[in-house]
Amino acid sequence: MVDDGVSKLGRFSDPALFVLVSLAEGEKHGYAMMEDIERTCGTRLGPGTLYGALSRLEKRGLVEPLVASGQRRRPYRITAPGASALEKRLRELEGFARAGLGRLATA
Amino acid sequence: MARWLVRLYPHAWRVRYEEEFLAMLEQRSASVWDLLDVALGVLDAWLRPQVMSERRIMVQRMRGSVLAVLWAWVGLVVAGVGFQKMTEYGDFVRAARENTLVGGAFDAVVIGAVAAMVAICVGGAPIAFAAARSALAEGRRDVPLLLCLPVLSLAIFVGYTLLIVRVIDPALERFASGEATDVTLLLSLAVVFVLAAVASVGAVSAAIRRSEIAALPIRFAIYPSAVAAVAMLVVLVGAVVWGLALRAQAPALFAGDEGIASASTSGTWMVIVTVMAVSTAVAIVAAIRGLRARSLQRPAGRPLS
Repeated sequence: MVDDGVSKLGRFSDPALFVLVSLAEGEKHGYAMMEDIERTCGTRLGPGTLYGALSRLEKRGLVEPLVASGQRRRPYRITAPGASALEKRLRELEGFARAGLGRLATA
Repeated sequence: MARWLVRLYPHAWRVRYEEEFLAMLEQRSASVWDLLDVALGVLDAWLRPQVMSERRIMVQRMRGSVLAVLWAWVGLVVAGVGFQKMTEYGDFVRAARENTLVGGAFDAVVIGAVAAMVAICVGGAPIAFAAARSALAEGRRDVPLLLCLPVLSLAIFVGYTLLIVRVIDPALERFASGEATDVTLLLSLAVVFVLAAVASVGAVSAAIRRSEIAALPIRFAIYPSAVAAVAMLVVLVGAVVWGLALRAQAPALFAGDEGIASASTSGTWMVIVTVMAVSTAVAIVAAIRGLRARSLQRPAGRPLS
């Protein structure tokens, strides 16, 4: 059974979320993910952190590697459970953000 | 520097990610923070490994198949004890003497049962020994205690049997003798036997799962477990042939109520054969999976973890 708890990945929760968001756009290899995450999230992931998150996501079936014939760079794509886990997490964050902004507005 | 750091990752991680990781590093110049991040990644990969080596997967698969054969064997033992109990009545013994096929089938059941037991012991003993040794080396008490449970279960079963034979049954005979009392005692004995068998195998399985056992005894156990599965098939075929031959030779006996606890002979036989068939099917599938995993895994003696 796939564990869809992105938030249960300890210090890799945020990097894993960034990776899923990046792959939600389409398949990417490691370097393209790093560039995309830096551009869209404003966070520069280190190589060790990126692959720590990727290995956890792959182990849980949330992302999957694609066959890269003749290439050293291996692209990854988000799986259906990965998309579902990402949506769930983003909805949680959306509710959290809305509640926080609402409190700020009334303060 | 980064390339050197990557060599510090665990072997299984390197097999899976090294090429693409290096390809990514080559696309940008590594800063000091990147190097530090890779160093932390190395530490994380060792402390919380996310990648399981192919070898470890295969060894775990072999261990699972060995345990599945063990559980299937217990199912066969329970059914076999029922078969033995049913066939010990005089009419069945006479039928086995008078008809070669009935007698031969019964002998096949006995030979198969003994062969399966020997194979289970030959395959299981090194694993149990390795589990106990590993637990003692780690100063753990749970595994040795679990491995003692089969002996304790046997002692309880023998003690309960002696209690029935020497105390309860003679005492009850003074007050009331009847078939219902005998059936109740027999059924209680059967329940204790099944509980003891399940507890024993459950404890052994838990002990093996909790232990750091080298691949070697598990690889070795694959062949005896395959032999046990074949022996179980012999037992099953023998029991089936025994019933069919008995029905042909002594239809009245087969249609009678000489089963366990005076149940119908044919019904008891069918239940026994069904349990044996399910157990044998599980054992054969598990043995094939184990043999396949063994053929895919190269020999080595390192622990599972």
